[in-house]
Amino acid sequence: MQEIKDMICPFCGCLCDDITLEIEAGKIVSTDNCCTIGNAKFLGKNRLKNPIKKIDGTWTDITYEEAVDTAVEMLLDADRPLLFGWSGTHGEAQCVGVHMNEILGGVIDNTTSVCHGPSILAIQEVGHPGCTLGQVKNRADLIIYWGCNPIEAHPRHMSRYTTYADGYFLDNAFRNRKVIVVDVRETETAKVADEFIRIKPGGDYAVLSSLRAILRGKSDMIPDSVAGVSKTQLMQVADMCKTCSFGALFFGVGLTMAKGKYKNVRNAIEFVDDLNRHTKFTLTPMRGHWNVYGANEVMAWMTGYPYAVDFCRGVAFYNPGETTAIDILARKECDACMIVASDPAAHFPRACVEQLRDIPLVVIDPFETMTTTIADLQIPVAVTGIDAEGTAYRMDGIPIKVKKAMDSDYPSDTEILTRIYNKMLEVKGL
Amino acid sequence: MKFILNTGRTIRQGKFTENKLGQGYAEETSRCYIHPLDLLELGIEEGENIMVTNVTGEVVLVALADEGLPKGMVFVPYGIHCNSVISPCTHGTGMPDYKIHEVEIAPTSEDRKTPTELLEQLGGVRYAGN
Amino acid sequence: MKTLLIKNAFVIDPIQHISGETMDIAVRNGKIVDDVKNPDEVIDAQGMLTLPGGIDSHTHICGTKVNFGRYMSPEDMRAGRTSRKGDMHATAGYSVPTTYGNSYRYSRMGYTTLLEGAMAPMEARHTHEEFRYTPMQDCLANTLFDGNWFALQAIQDGDTKRLAGILAWYLSAAKGFGVKLTNPGGTEAWGFGKDVSCINDPIPNFDITPLEIIVKMIEANEMLNLPHSVHLHCNNLGKPGNYMCTLDTYDAIPDINDKRQSLYSTHVQFHSYGGSSWNDFCSKAEDIARSVNDKPHIVIDTGQVMFGKTTTMTADGPMEFNLYRLYHNKWSNHDIEMETGSGIIPVVYRKKNLVNAIMWAIGLELALLVDDPWRCILATDNPNGAPFVKYPEVMALLMSKEYRDKEFETLHKSTGRRVALPAIERELTWDEIAVMTRSAQARALGLIDYGKGYLSEGAEADIAIYPIDVDSTDPARDYERIINGFSTTEYTIKRGEVVCRRGTCTLEGNHSTYWVKPHVSPAYDMSKDAAFIDGFNRYYSIRRANYPVGEEYLGRNVCMETEASI
Repeated sequence: MQEIKDMICPFCGCLCDDITLEIEAGKIVSTDNCCTIGNAKFLGKNRLKNPIKKIDGTWTDITYEEAVDTAVEMLLDADRPLLFGWSGTHGEAQCVGVHMNEILGGVIDNTTSVCHGPSILAIQEVGHPGCTLGQVKNRADLIIYWGCNPIEAHPRHMSRYTTYADGYFLDNAFRNRKVIVVDVRETETAKVADEFIRIKPGGDYAVLSSLRAILRGKSDMIPDSVAGVSKTQLMQVADMCKTCSFGALFFGVGLTMAKGKYKNVRNAIEFVDDLNRHTKFTLTPMRGHWNVYGANEVMAWMTGYPYAVDFCRGVAFYNPGETTAIDILARKECDACMIVASDPAAHFPRACVEQLRDIPLVVIDPFETMTTTIADLQIPVAVTGIDAEGTAYRMDGIPIKVKKAMDSDYPSDTEILTRIYNKMLEVKGL
Repeated sequence: MKFILNTGRTIRQGKFTENKLGQGYAEETSRCYIHPLDLLELGIEEGENIMVTNVTGEVVLVALADEGLPKGMVFVPYGIHCNSVISPCTHGTGMPDYKIHEVEIAPTSEDRKTPTELLEQLGGVRYAGN
Repeated sequence: MKTLLIKNAFVIDPIQHISGETMDIAVRNGKIVDDVKNPDEVIDAQGMLTLPGGIDSHTHICGTKVNFGRYMSPEDMRAGRTSRKGDMHATAGYSVPTTYGNSYRYSRMGYTTLLEGAMAPMEARHTHEEFRYTPMQDCLANTLFDGNWFALQAIQDGDTKRLAGILAWYLSAAKGFGVKLTNPGGTEAWGFGKDVSCINDPIPNFDITPLEIIVKMIEANEMLNLPHSVHLHCNNLGKPGNYMCTLDTYDAIPDINDKRQSLYSTHVQFHSYGGSSWNDFCSKAEDIARSVNDKPHIVIDTGQVMFGKTTTMTADGPMEFNLYRLYHNKWSNHDIEMETGSGIIPVVYRKKNLVNAIMWAIGLELALLVDDPWRCILATDNPNGAPFVKYPEVMALLMSKEYRDKEFETLHKSTGRRVALPAIERELTWDEIAVMTRSAQARALGLIDYGKGYLSEGAEADIAIYPIDVDSTDPARDYERIINGFSTTEYTIKRGEVVCRRGTCTLEGNHSTYWVKPHVSPAYDMSKDAAFIDGFNRYYSIRRANYPVGEEYLGRNVCMETEASI
């Protein structure tokens, strides 16, 4: 039995780096410090053993060499290829993906477009007053969770960074930190809040505007109730925000996927901007996939844009709503697709899944996923954090080296993508 | 009856993410949480199946009570089930309306389908080798 | 072993006291040698100005805040796009280009070494990841310590040796190069939304002042025998009347290194402001230059502003918030726990805006009023004052009074009453420009010992060959030729290979990262210090074991080992 400490959990954007793994006979047998989800990820079984190819509607086992050749053929044969996913792999692999997309003239998009894409659109309009998570842990005496449910989606967020975390400037963090939860339903997180604000669906924008009006001394124009929230509660919350010493607003896809989308987020950002005229306040999107923020970082330094980048005219072109995966698939424009470390058949609207089914589809993933069933080729790879390593960016932008616990015969995402890329260069004579 | 469909992450859905074709995921993502008073109005008991429909499609789910929801809203964990009724329209933002879709809900005697069945209906083929 | 012979080059190499001699330069295996027989490649540089490769000693090109500048600015990305061609990858961006964009554009201007001006150690891995995609230059990173809790605590305890031990641990862990202080104490105060106004303001929660931080950091820096001095972004940047703060800071700087300066004061234009408000804002460049002229232990860079759109980005979080309240443009802020802050806002500098016009004049005044070009480095604090692609214009302005006067006429009408520029006759020489764009940087950064900044035997073969015939060019009149000539080299040579030819990069470069590793005695080795480790794991949000950047992030690199005196 071997024990490895300080390992990094490759599940959500918290990127917890205090995981202990116990390894026996080349397998992880138990974990310590993990949440339920992380534990399940480390103990995951049933990996695909070798590349598989669908021939006449039946899956056939093939070699890695055949798989690489097939992938190259499928992608080079397309006019409008899409390379999607990326948030579940390390940055080094994402870099290869960008280079590949340059020579394919395709679209490269990451799962941001279906999580915090609208947040990025808002940030591109008004900026982002943020900080690292340790800054919140050490200083914040007020936490707001808006449209997010960390107990279910980021299970250790509250214990590592907010409610239950020790902080340098807080004697008794749990008692001295107030937590406000804003949601349309009473989630598990709402149940542990000091103050729960229940908003009617679609009412986030109006509530944020009301809070901003109160901050600016215009409370007389606020009606008795806004989107189901009483004026009394709004006044009280505005006061809590204004009088804290350090406030941190975390928000989730409750803002980005609801009516108003990026305009909701823009209003939240401007609310925080306003609060900075009174006290210190920051805002952080609760990023979902462990390395979705890394996908944004890599694509920003390599192409200039954090997601949805179209190289069909040679230069990088970015227009979310047009160059995003959902839209390209819904328009049935995309004519071949490579999915890396993502499962769109589980998460995309059915119409998009149908389009994926109808075009040549390559999946690079360790496991049989829902997307596997509609794919034409799958290449299994090592799991970053278990038998592959690489860089990831936490939800607050902190870059962390995700280490491996063991070696295996599986190639990493970087290795397999590099093979595909090099073969493409060879075929194209570049 | 008309409802607003809200979809999202649950800890169980997260836990089964690496095994989406298994029983745990199938069970979790085919659940539909409804306010108890809405259940009453629909005339069904917790644990009975419902048919969720809109212009995009239809899907059979099992109804479960959740007092934390407002009346008129239902919650379904992320997965292939709820996406059967999510429209790909993004209003030019790249993001579908995952949290705010109008749906019609009625009792049904039809059975829930597993993700594999839904995928096979789409023409998907499972790999038998593992 | 590849050889190259550059024939008939018109060489200016101030470190070697070569001032315009026609000579041959031989290169073998990436280094300059005395002679090569039957060279693999011959370049005829007849009539071309040949200089050591350019060095930028203060620029923002890689890392978390630079990348956030890209992330939040699609409008800037759209303003400069090229597609993949030959060996060159696609690029995008104007004021915050993609890494390839930075690298190719610097290369075409003959720059072969770049110092990233501000790297938070906690985010160092990010900077190094971007260095890997900045292939045409060697890169170094200044490491931020202005709000480092362990450092502030050691200063508060009066333990300068421990402070040095802390600097040593972080520099090695972050694979950093120099000690950078950005608004010392101010970034910690910003953790609760406050700032400090100058060097004697107490810092909230720590019983020390910015002045104590600056002086103790200089002492600790020298205990480590680092190649570079402390690199300071003074307190109170960008505010009317801040020149007094700058002068007071300079007066307090000890002179404790006989090989180089004891302080590198960066983007001084932003710290040379007179007036009590924006209404009576004026230049105090003369006062600052006088102080610098009197203090041989201080080196400055100018932080020139040029007109047009750009993006401001700095670790000085409170300053960016002030700027946001002036401009009401989009604002990003990113505090880094226990270390520092940062902020970003886009700006437009306008000729008809009196404040902006004065800022433009101040940068030029500093360059013209500091007597010794070795102590006044040309930089725009890219992209804060202007994107680096403006350097050739800055050079032309400094070399031509006629060009300056012509530009001056287009500015806000009141500018003349607030600045001294129109009265300054000095026109910088070719040699002075060479000093201010490479030789002074090599000396100030301590890179001469590492073969940078000169062209004699043993030096790294980093060479810029410009299509400028010095004999037939009068810079005072032919400023357009200066601009064009310095914008695009005929050849840029990196480690003996032609990497850029007339603006086209011809190779996938192979850059090196330079970083320091001071050796300290076990008593000051923080990796074995229980209090340090305990505090670290308790208050950082990542484990100490996961903090250091491994060498796998550096690829080819030069570890600059030093023997500390502690």
